[in-house]
This record gives sequence, C-alpha cells and structure tokens, in this order.
Amino acid sequence: MTATTITGSAAAGAPRGSALDRRYAMLGLVLIAPSVMIFCMVIVYPLVSAIYLSLFSIYTPTLQGDFVGLDNYATLMASGEFWRSLLNTVIWTVCTLTLQIVFGIAVALVLHQNMAFRALARSLILFPYFVSTVVAVLVWRWLFNDLYGILNHMMMWAGLVDMPLDYLGSMPNAMISVVIVGAWKYFPFVVIAVLARLQTIPEPLYEAAKIDGAGPIARFFDVTLPQLRDVLVVIILLRAIWDFKEFDLIFLLTGGGPLISTQTLPLMVYKDAFGLNDMGRASAVAVTMMLVMLVFMIAYLRLTGREEKEAAQ
Amino acid sequence: MTNKISNTLSSGLGGVSRRTVLTGIGAAGFAAAMPGIRRAHAQETTLRWWSPQTAPAQREAYDYQIRTFEEANPGVKVLFESTSDEGYPAQMAAAFASGQAPNVVTHLPSFAVSNYWQNGLLEPFDDVIAMIGPEKYYEGANKIYEITPGQHAGTGIGNSAANMLWVRTDLMEKAGIDAVPRTWDQLRDAASKMQGGGIYGAPLPYARNSMTSLVFVCFVHGAGGMIFSPDLEVAVDSAEFRNALEFYKSMREFCPPGATAYSWGESLTAFVSGATATGLYTGRVLANVNAQNPGIAEFVSAHEYPTVSEDVPHWTFNDFPSVMIPKDAPNMELTKKLAAHLFEPDGYIRQLHAAPGHVLPVLKTISSMEAYQDNEIIRKYSDDVDRMAAAAAAGHNLGWESTAHQPNTKAGQIIASHVLAEAVQRYVMNGDAMDAVVSDTAMRLEELMKG
Repeated sequence: MTATTITGSAAAGAPRGSALDRRYAMLGLVLIAPSVMIFCMVIVYPLVSAIYLSLFSIYTPTLQGDFVGLDNYATLMASGEFWRSLLNTVIWTVCTLTLQIVFGIAVALVLHQNMAFRALARSLILFPYFVSTVVAVLVWRWLFNDLYGILNHMMMWAGLVDMPLDYLGSMPNAMISVVIVGAWKYFPFVVIAVLARLQTIPEPLYEAAKIDGAGPIARFFDVTLPQLRDVLVVIILLRAIWDFKEFDLIFLLTGGGPLISTQTLPLMVYKDAFGLNDMGRASAVAVTMMLVMLVFMIAYLRLTGREEKEAAQ
Repeated sequence: MTNKISNTLSSGLGGVSRRTVLTGIGAAGFAAAMPGIRRAHAQETTLRWWSPQTAPAQREAYDYQIRTFEEANPGVKVLFESTSDEGYPAQMAAAFASGQAPNVVTHLPSFAVSNYWQNGLLEPFDDVIAMIGPEKYYEGANKIYEITPGQHAGTGIGNSAANMLWVRTDLMEKAGIDAVPRTWDQLRDAASKMQGGGIYGAPLPYARNSMTSLVFVCFVHGAGGMIFSPDLEVAVDSAEFRNALEFYKSMREFCPPGATAYSWGESLTAFVSGATATGLYTGRVLANVNAQNPGIAEFVSAHEYPTVSEDVPHWTFNDFPSVMIPKDAPNMELTKKLAAHLFEPDGYIRQLHAAPGHVLPVLKTISSMEAYQDNEIIRKYSDDVDRMAAAAAAGHNLGWESTAHQPNTKAGQIIASHVLAEAVQRYVMNGDAMDAVVSDTAMRLEELMKG
C-alpha cells in the first residue's frame, strides 16, 4: 500500500521523480545488484561462454584455438556417435523416469497406509537418494560382479542360469542395469513428493467413492491419480531435466560402453572435452543438449504459468 | 514501508546514515580480513604434488619424502593430491585451463608428458635431471622425454612392465603343462587346460577403457605389427593388426563373463583372488598376492607375454611413469628441488618398496644398493623382478612404439578416445566384419592425428 502511494504521488507530482525517489530507485538497484551479478556469473556467463567456445576448435588445457564458425555443429549433425548418444539419452531418460514414477507412486501408496514401523520405513526409503552416487555405484558394481557378485551367485544357486551374467559389459544388459540403478537411486524423490500430496487429499473423496461402490483400483484411478496429477507433472518435468543431464552414475557404471551403447550426451561432452581435449566440439554438444532441454523448460514454464493463472481465477 | 525502514535505521542507530552504516560494515569486513591477509603472507609456501599411484603403502612413502623435504626446507609445505589413471586427463586439462596446475606431477605415462610438452605447458626438466645426476640413470632412460632435441620434457620416476604374463605353477602342473607359454597357440592351449572348476584361463579386458586399448597395442606388436609406422603414419591396415584382433577374440572364451567391464583393478583382482589361472599385470601382483591370497604366493611367477610365434620378439608395455613440472607452477626453484628430492635414495627406495616390482628403479645407482635389495618380496621373487626389470628396460608404449619411432604426442588422446578398445569390442563382441573394423579404426586414427 505504501509503495503504491509513493508511486502514485511521484507520478502525479513529479514526472521525473524527486531526489528521494531517485535515491530509493538507486537503493533498489544496489540491492538487486548482487542477485543480478550472481545470475550473470552462474547462468549468463557460462551460457555465453559455451556458445562462444562452440564456434572454435579449442585445445582444452590451453583454451586456445581457431575460429571455425558452425563447423563443430555441422560435424555433430553428420556424426553417428552424436545421434546414437542422443538416442541413448532419450532411452535412458524415458525408461528410468518411467520406473521412478511407477515405483515411487507404489511405494508412496504403501507408506501412506497405517502400518507398523511406518516412520522407520519412510526414513529408510530415502536412503538411496541421500547416499553418494560413487558409493551407490560401487555397491551395485559389486552386486553385478561376475565372480563375486551376489546377484549372479543367487541366480546360479537357484538354477536360473548356468554361467554368470554379464550385467555391465554387454547389451542390452548394460542399458537395463543402468536404468534400474538410476530408478533405484532417484525414485525416493518421487516418493517424498507423492507422499506429501497423498496426505492432503481430502478423506471425504474416498468415502464418497466407497459409497458409490468403487473398489481400491477404481478409487486409485478415479480419486488418487487425478489428485496427484499436478504434482506428477512437476516431478516428471524436473526429473526429466535432471535425468537428461545425468553423468556420474552412467559414467561410473559403464563408462558409456560397451562401445557407445550407454554413452549419453553428457558422457560425450566429457570425452570430447577432456579425453580428446576438444573443448569446441564438447561445447557444441553441450549447447545442443541445452536446446533439447529448453523444450522441457518451456513445457515446465507453460504448465506452471497455466497453474498460476488457474489459481488466480 | 521504505520510509519506515529508513526511520528505523536512523532511530535505531542514533541518526547514523545508511551510507555510513554500509561504509562501516565494509571497513569492518576489510579490517577483519586484514589479519588473515597478513597471516597468509607470513604463512609457509605450499607446493602441490599430484600422482595417480596412491595405494596406502605408497602414500606412506610419499609422506616420508614430503616430511624430509619440509624438514630440509623450513617454511615449505607440500600438499599431496591424488588423481587416477582414468581421470588424470580431465583433471590435468582443468588444472592447466584454470591456471591451477600443481607444482609436480608424477607417475603419468610418458605420452601424457609429450602431449603437454608439445603444447607448451611444461617447464624444461634438464635442471632437475642435472640435480639428480644424469650419470646415475640407466643408459637411454630419458630418451623418451627428449621430444625436442637437447631438452627434456620430464624424467622417469620408474619403469613398469605392465603386460607381464602371470602364471600359477600349481595349476600348470595340475594341467600337465611343463613350460610357460611362449606363443599365442601355447597360451590358448594352457588357458583351455587350466580353465574349469570355477577358474578361468585369463583376465583380459574387453571394456571400452584404456586398459583394453593398451593391451591391444601389446597384441598388435605381439603379432609383429604396429599401430603407427616410425614416421607416424597410421599402419593398422595390416595382416598383423587383423591377427591381433583374431587372437583377442579367441581368448574371450577363457575370460570371465564380466571381463567386458574389466579395467586394471578388476583384472588384477581376478588373478590375485585365484579366479583366473593367468594374469596380465605389473609386479604389483607380488605384493597383493602375499597380502591378500598368501595360499598361492608360492606358485606365482612372471614372464614376458607370448607373441604369435617365437620369431616375433616380446614387446613389453612400459608406460614410463614420469615426473613433470607444469610451466606455470609457482615457486619454480623450490618445485625443482622437490622434484629432485623424490630421487633421494632413502625416500625413493621406500617408494619403490611400497609396491615391489610394480615400479622399477630408473637409477642404476639405486638398483645396486643393498637397501633396495633388502626387501622381502624382492628377495623372494628376485628372478621375477629381474625378468620384469629387463623387460621394462626394453619396453615401449604407444607414445614411442620402437626405438625407430618418433615420439607420438597424440598417444594420450588416442587412448582416451577409445578407438582401439572400440575396435576390439566391435570385432569380438559385436561380431562386426574385420574389414569394416580395420577401415573405421584407420580412418579415426588418421582424424585424431590430424586434429
């Protein structure tokens, strides 16, 4: 209210603003300057740098090289490795995200029930999400190990296989393993978000459904799922963005192999930038990745904008 | 509301203006930081030392070398930071690019040194070699570092024989094998006879990593071929290269299923744990077997890796573990003193004893010292250590494939690109046509050499 009064009087009485207004405007600029500077440092500068670097052929350790224009992009578009890596990225993102959502909702529904040790179970379920990726990968690599891994040991003991399975070194096992580990690592995020939303669904909705004769499955699809819709949209968008740029888990599990069967775009960026010391080409891959992720971002912004409009109405 | 904030500030601070308050906060912050700044100036000089060789026993030896250097140079602190065999290209690139390169880097392969030297990132090492004493080195030990005639880009801190064939004499005896395999046919035959009962024939890597590339380079030379000609033209379109691929493929049935994801660590563990009858590794096997599986310690021995026939000489992969100094390293004089200090006999011998037979001395004066010979493992396996030392001394790597070859400054990028490992995977695991694999590999190598 005060701000409105000040603005109004300033507009009516002094079109160019009084000294006090100018000082307040200056103060405003000073106060937002740190935020703007930080934004420029962590968002604008890396973004512009990446685009700028992608126009050069650059030796990484010295960051020196020649201007090549759009050659890096032309090379990428003609590169089978790029398209295969993009396809791998999409396969990884879609599959692991689907598993995360399915398991996340299922576990959240279980943890929403009255059950013994519910608080303990709710705490333990978060463990994969909190554990360091390096530790998680080391544990899984031991589980998958052909000579000493418990998975192979149990499968051979149960008579399911005669010889140990090669989980990480052959296809499609490698991609399936990576997807499963990714789902295990990140599904607790879905559990937390869905569980929070489940606790706010009004109980009368379920009572009314029961009176109408709806069974558990019908209640899930007709009551629970529609109520979860908004939170699921946000989760899917956020997790899609995060999974799309996942690096450490895949790099540590398979290194992108066998061949380039599990090499996603972030791994390609790493290989180009530091293996081949070609920062220009790596930047071109990164910029292309950014453009793909921009699609996710626009979808996210549109959805959140629409929700805000609906809430305002 | 804004007025209220202004008023509150004025009244609460006894009429002091906002500008005065902000100036005061700034001044107070600067004053608070000043003692720190003064302390920083008064603090000791810090030198940073990087290495990918960081086994606990090696770290103990490094700590001793650091302590003695710090005692000899009051006010100097040496900070050890670890890197890794697979991760050093990224860490070094980032360090160079950000101007945060360490003072001394040890144990990187010689071809990494040549690449950095070629791009003007290293300090000439001749002063350090002079401090160590050039006469103490084995003949020609530093030739690989003389990329620019008359100047050394670095020096060796040791030799390694990375592709020694490790055998279990107990399993050989049980299988009725009376001689260590000399040719590939004999190796395949031995692996076949010893495989069974939960033991595989060999732990060769089939992964997309540096070990697969380096082992394949060994096999190409074991077939009598080369990756590049002496004047560094791509030379993979050859019968020898094809023969090496065939041999690698033929060994797959004797390797554990998970060998498709093996690197150095997994391959070593497979042999040391007794899961494979043969191994391919450096002398680190000795210390690990004695510590982790002493039951087989009496039965392991090291030999040069077989070749296609007795007419083709052995080819040992020596990555020539190096010492180098980044050009922009601060405190250059102290840095060079530290680099030279690493070769002081008491510390150097501790470092070598930390992994007996794994890193072998480059100084003949050290090899002949009683203190160096006075090690349980070196004494116990003296024949094996001698064989490894002789093999390493005649060893080469992709950066210097033979004495006739020019130094290949692109070797590090070729290994990091996984071109050679992918050739193995395509032929062995995907079953791609030989001609297509060879042709694609040749093309990619040419691109890398041009790039």
